[in-house]
Amino acid sequence: MNTAITDNKNIFYPPGGILLWIIIFIELITFGAGLISMIYYGNQEPDSFHSSRSLLNASIGMANTIILLTSGFFMALSVKELKVNNQKRTKQYLLLTMLLGSMFLVLKLVEYSAKIDSGLVFGYNTFFNFYWMLTIFHFLHVLVGLVILISLYFGIRKEQSKTTIGDFESGAAFWHMCDLIWLLLFPIIYLIN
Amino acid sequence: MKKATTISWVVLILFTIISAILSGVETSYMAIMILGLAVLKFIGVAFEFMELKKAHWVWQLSLLSFLAIFTAIVLAMM
Repeated sequence: MNTAITDNKNIFYPPGGILLWIIIFIELITFGAGLISMIYYGNQEPDSFHSSRSLLNASIGMANTIILLTSGFFMALSVKELKVNNQKRTKQYLLLTMLLGSMFLVLKLVEYSAKIDSGLVFGYNTFFNFYWMLTIFHFLHVLVGLVILISLYFGIRKEQSKTTIGDFESGAAFWHMCDLIWLLLFPIIYLIN
Repeated sequence: MKKATTISWVVLILFTIISAILSGVETSYMAIMILGLAVLKFIGVAFEFMELKKAHWVWQLSLLSFLAIFTAIVLAMM
Protein backbone atom coordinates (compact mmCIF):
# COMPACT_ATOMS: atom_id res chain seq x y z
CA MET A 1 0.00 0.00 0.00
CA ASN A 2 1.19 3.50 -0.86
CA THR A 3 1.57 5.34 2.45
CA ALA A 4 3.12 8.55 1.10
CA ILE A 5 1.68 11.52 3.02
CA THR A 6 0.94 14.76 1.17
CA ASP A 7 1.59 18.25 2.51
CA ASN A 8 -1.89 19.49 3.45
CA LYS A 9 -0.62 23.05 3.94
CA ASN A 10 -0.38 23.27 0.15
CA ILE A 11 -3.57 25.01 -1.05
CA PHE A 12 -4.09 22.34 -3.75
CA TYR A 13 -3.93 19.42 -1.31
CA PRO A 14 -6.46 19.83 1.52
CA PRO A 15 -7.02 16.61 3.53
CA GLY A 16 -9.23 14.46 1.28
CA GLY A 17 -8.28 16.24 -1.92
CA ILE A 18 -9.32 19.44 -3.66
CA LEU A 19 -12.09 17.81 -5.73
CA LEU A 20 -13.77 16.38 -2.67
CA TRP A 21 -13.64 19.73 -0.91
CA ILE A 22 -15.32 21.37 -3.90
CA ILE A 23 -18.04 18.70 -3.62
CA ILE A 24 -18.28 19.33 0.15
CA PHE A 25 -18.87 23.04 -0.42
CA ILE A 26 -21.48 22.37 -3.12
CA GLU A 27 -23.28 19.95 -0.79
CA LEU A 28 -23.16 22.33 2.17
CA ILE A 29 -24.53 25.19 0.06
CA THR A 30 -27.29 22.94 -1.33
CA PHE A 31 -28.40 21.67 2.08
CA GLY A 32 -27.94 25.16 3.55
CA ALA A 33 -30.26 26.61 0.90
CA GLY A 34 -32.79 23.86 1.64
CA LEU A 35 -32.72 24.63 5.36
CA ILE A 36 -33.02 28.37 4.79
CA SER A 37 -36.05 27.70 2.54
CA MET A 38 -37.51 25.55 5.30
CA ILE A 39 -37.14 28.39 7.82
CA TYR A 40 -38.68 30.83 5.32
CA TYR A 41 -41.75 28.63 4.87
CA GLY A 42 -41.81 28.03 8.62
CA ASN A 43 -42.24 31.78 9.08
CA GLN A 44 -45.18 31.71 6.64
CA GLU A 45 -46.91 28.81 8.43
CA PRO A 46 -45.66 28.95 12.05
CA ASP A 47 -48.53 26.98 13.63
CA SER A 48 -48.34 24.15 11.11
CA PHE A 49 -44.55 23.90 11.49
CA HIS A 50 -44.76 24.02 15.29
CA SER A 51 -47.33 21.24 15.49
CA SER A 52 -45.60 19.16 12.82
CA ARG A 53 -42.22 19.43 14.54
CA SER A 54 -43.78 18.14 17.76
CA LEU A 55 -44.68 14.95 15.84
CA LEU A 56 -40.99 14.20 15.26
CA ASN A 57 -39.07 11.98 17.63
CA ALA A 58 -36.21 14.20 18.85
CA SER A 59 -34.81 11.29 20.90
CA ILE A 60 -34.19 9.29 17.72
CA GLY A 61 -32.67 12.42 16.18
CA MET A 62 -30.34 12.83 19.15
CA ALA A 63 -29.41 9.14 19.16
CA ASN A 64 -28.62 9.38 15.46
CA THR A 65 -26.47 12.47 16.06
CA ILE A 66 -24.46 10.61 18.72
CA ILE A 67 -24.14 7.56 16.45
CA LEU A 68 -22.95 9.62 13.49
CA LEU A 69 -20.50 11.66 15.59
CA THR A 70 -19.08 8.46 17.09
CA SER A 71 -18.71 6.90 13.65
CA GLY A 72 -16.87 10.07 12.56
CA PHE A 73 -14.62 9.71 15.60
CA PHE A 74 -13.68 6.15 14.64
CA MET A 75 -13.17 7.24 11.03
CA ALA A 76 -10.72 9.92 12.20
CA LEU A 77 -8.87 7.33 14.31
CA SER A 78 -8.78 4.95 11.35
CA VAL A 79 -7.07 7.60 9.19
CA LYS A 80 -4.53 8.31 11.96
CA GLU A 81 -3.72 4.58 12.29
CA LEU A 82 -3.30 4.23 8.55
CA LYS A 83 -0.80 7.09 8.54
CA VAL A 84 1.39 5.16 11.00
CA ASN A 85 0.83 2.02 8.90
CA ASN A 86 -1.08 0.14 11.61
CA GLN A 87 -3.25 -1.92 9.27
CA LYS A 88 -4.93 -3.98 11.99
CA ARG A 89 -6.17 -0.96 13.95
CA THR A 90 -7.11 0.85 10.73
CA LYS A 91 -9.41 -1.99 9.73
CA GLN A 92 -10.87 -2.33 13.24
CA TYR A 93 -11.75 1.36 13.41
CA LEU A 94 -13.10 1.30 9.87
CA LEU A 95 -15.35 -1.64 10.73
CA LEU A 96 -16.66 0.26 13.77
CA THR A 97 -17.30 3.28 11.55
CA MET A 98 -19.30 1.16 9.11
CA LEU A 99 -21.21 -0.56 11.92
CA LEU A 100 -22.28 2.78 13.37
CA GLY A 101 -23.11 4.13 9.91
CA SER A 102 -25.37 1.12 9.37
CA MET A 103 -26.98 1.74 12.77
CA PHE A 104 -27.73 5.30 11.70
CA LEU A 105 -29.48 4.05 8.57
CA VAL A 106 -31.47 1.39 10.48
CA LEU A 107 -32.62 3.93 13.06
CA LYS A 108 -33.60 6.32 10.28
CA LEU A 109 -35.63 3.57 8.62
CA VAL A 110 -37.39 2.90 11.95
CA GLU A 111 -38.22 6.61 12.16
CA TYR A 112 -39.43 6.70 8.53
CA SER A 113 -41.55 3.62 9.08
CA ALA A 114 -43.29 5.24 12.08
CA LYS A 115 -43.94 8.39 10.07
CA ILE A 116 -45.38 6.45 7.14
CA ASP A 117 -47.61 4.40 9.49
CA SER A 118 -48.93 7.67 10.95
CA GLY A 119 -49.68 9.02 7.48
CA LEU A 120 -47.01 11.72 7.77
CA VAL A 121 -45.80 11.13 4.24
CA PHE A 122 -44.38 13.46 1.58
CA GLY A 123 -47.23 15.81 0.61
CA TYR A 124 -48.85 15.80 4.09
CA ASN A 125 -47.86 19.44 4.63
CA THR A 126 -45.01 21.84 3.88
CA PHE A 127 -43.04 20.88 6.99
CA PHE A 128 -43.07 17.19 6.13
CA ASN A 129 -42.20 17.95 2.49
CA PHE A 130 -39.00 19.57 3.75
CA TYR A 131 -38.47 16.84 6.36
CA TRP A 132 -38.63 14.07 3.76
CA MET A 133 -36.70 15.93 1.08
CA LEU A 134 -33.78 16.93 3.31
CA THR A 135 -33.50 13.79 5.42
CA ILE A 136 -33.90 11.35 2.50
CA PHE A 137 -31.26 13.29 0.55
CA HIS A 138 -28.96 13.01 3.58
CA PHE A 139 -29.86 9.31 4.02
CA LEU A 140 -28.72 8.67 0.44
CA HIS A 141 -25.43 10.44 1.15
CA VAL A 142 -24.80 8.20 4.17
CA LEU A 143 -25.66 5.17 2.02
CA VAL A 144 -23.16 6.25 -0.66
CA GLY A 145 -20.60 6.97 2.09
CA LEU A 146 -21.07 3.46 3.43
CA VAL A 147 -20.48 1.97 -0.03
CA ILE A 148 -17.27 4.04 -0.30
CA LEU A 149 -16.10 2.79 3.13
CA ILE A 150 -16.85 -0.84 2.21
CA SER A 151 -14.84 -0.40 -0.98
CA LEU A 152 -11.95 1.13 1.03
CA TYR A 153 -12.10 -1.72 3.54
CA PHE A 154 -11.74 -4.35 0.85
CA GLY A 155 -9.16 -2.15 -0.90
CA ILE A 156 -6.79 -2.01 2.07
CA ARG A 157 -7.27 -5.71 2.89
CA LYS A 158 -5.36 -6.77 -0.22
CA GLU A 159 -1.67 -7.60 0.15
CA GLN A 160 -0.69 -5.54 -2.91
CA SER A 161 -3.24 -2.81 -2.35
CA LYS A 162 -3.33 0.13 -4.75
CA THR A 163 -5.37 2.17 -2.27
CA THR A 164 -3.41 5.26 -1.21
CA ILE A 165 -3.71 7.37 1.92
CA GLY A 166 -5.15 10.05 -0.36
CA ASP A 167 -7.96 7.66 -1.41
CA PHE A 168 -8.59 6.78 2.21
CA GLU A 169 -8.66 10.44 3.28
CA SER A 170 -11.10 11.24 0.46
CA GLY A 171 -13.46 8.51 1.65
CA ALA A 172 -13.10 9.77 5.21
CA ALA A 173 -13.77 13.37 4.14
CA PHE A 174 -16.98 12.25 2.37
CA TRP A 175 -18.05 10.42 5.52
CA HIS A 176 -17.36 13.47 7.71
CA MET A 177 -19.31 15.59 5.23
CA CYS A 178 -22.39 13.48 6.09
CA ASP A 179 -21.67 14.41 9.73
CA LEU A 180 -21.43 18.12 8.92
CA ILE A 181 -24.71 18.09 6.98
CA TRP A 182 -26.49 16.25 9.79
CA LEU A 183 -25.17 18.77 12.35
CA LEU A 184 -27.03 21.47 10.40
CA LEU A 185 -30.18 19.40 9.77
CA PHE A 186 -30.69 18.08 13.30
CA PRO A 187 -31.21 21.36 15.21
CA ILE A 188 -33.24 23.09 12.50
CA ILE A 189 -35.54 20.18 11.65
CA TYR A 190 -35.90 18.57 15.09
CA LEU A 191 -35.13 21.07 17.83
CA ILE A 192 -35.67 24.74 17.06
CA ASN A 193 -39.28 25.90 17.11
CA MET B 1 -2.99 13.46 18.44
CA LYS B 2 -5.46 10.72 19.33
CA LYS B 3 -6.01 12.39 22.69
CA ALA B 4 -7.18 15.61 21.01
CA THR B 5 -9.54 13.62 18.79
CA THR B 6 -10.95 11.75 21.79
CA ILE B 7 -11.46 14.97 23.77
CA SER B 8 -13.21 16.51 20.74
CA TRP B 9 -15.52 13.51 20.50
CA VAL B 10 -16.46 13.73 24.21
CA VAL B 11 -17.17 17.47 23.85
CA LEU B 12 -19.26 16.85 20.72
CA ILE B 13 -21.38 14.26 22.53
CA LEU B 14 -21.81 16.59 25.53
CA PHE B 15 -22.90 19.44 23.25
CA THR B 16 -25.42 17.14 21.57
CA ILE B 17 -26.96 16.15 24.91
CA ILE B 18 -27.04 19.80 26.06
CA SER B 19 -28.78 20.76 22.77
CA ALA B 20 -31.46 18.13 23.35
CA ILE B 21 -32.01 19.34 26.94
CA LEU B 22 -32.16 22.97 25.82
CA SER B 23 -34.80 22.16 23.19
CA GLY B 24 -37.21 21.36 26.02
CA VAL B 25 -36.63 24.70 27.76
CA GLU B 26 -39.01 27.52 26.91
CA THR B 27 -36.73 30.56 26.66
CA SER B 28 -36.34 33.16 23.96
CA TYR B 29 -32.63 32.36 23.70
CA MET B 30 -33.17 28.62 23.19
CA ALA B 31 -32.80 28.77 19.40
CA ILE B 32 -29.63 30.88 19.59
CA MET B 33 -28.05 28.54 22.14
CA ILE B 34 -28.90 25.39 20.14
CA LEU B 35 -27.62 26.97 16.95
CA GLY B 36 -24.46 28.12 18.73
CA LEU B 37 -23.77 24.58 19.93
CA ALA B 38 -24.40 23.25 16.41
CA VAL B 39 -21.87 25.75 15.04
CA LEU B 40 -19.27 24.64 17.61
CA LYS B 41 -19.91 20.99 16.76
CA PHE B 42 -19.57 21.75 13.05
CA ILE B 43 -16.20 23.43 13.69
CA GLY B 44 -15.08 20.52 15.90
CA VAL B 45 -15.84 17.91 13.22
CA ALA B 46 -14.30 19.97 10.41
CA PHE B 47 -11.10 21.02 12.16
CA GLU B 48 -10.40 17.92 14.28
CA PHE B 49 -11.99 14.93 12.53
CA MET B 50 -11.48 16.20 8.95
CA GLU B 51 -8.08 17.64 9.91
CA LEU B 52 -8.93 21.00 8.43
CA LYS B 53 -6.58 22.46 11.06
CA LYS B 54 -3.74 21.04 8.96
CA ALA B 55 -5.06 22.53 5.70
CA HIS B 56 -4.13 25.81 4.01
CA TRP B 57 -5.79 28.83 5.66
CA VAL B 58 -7.88 29.50 2.53
CA TRP B 59 -9.82 26.26 3.11
CA GLN B 60 -10.26 27.05 6.79
CA LEU B 61 -11.47 30.56 6.02
CA SER B 62 -13.82 29.30 3.29
CA LEU B 63 -15.53 26.84 5.60
CA LEU B 64 -15.80 29.34 8.43
CA SER B 65 -17.20 31.92 6.00
CA PHE B 66 -19.88 29.49 4.84
CA LEU B 67 -20.77 28.76 8.45
CA ALA B 68 -20.88 32.45 9.39
CA ILE B 69 -23.10 33.36 6.42
CA PHE B 70 -25.43 30.41 6.98
CA THR B 71 -25.76 31.14 10.72
CA ALA B 72 -26.32 34.86 10.11
CA ILE B 73 -29.10 34.15 7.61
CA VAL B 74 -30.77 31.62 9.93
CA LEU B 75 -30.61 34.00 12.91
CA ALA B 76 -31.91 36.91 10.83
CA MET B 77 -34.90 34.83 9.73
CA MET B 78 -35.82 33.62 13.23
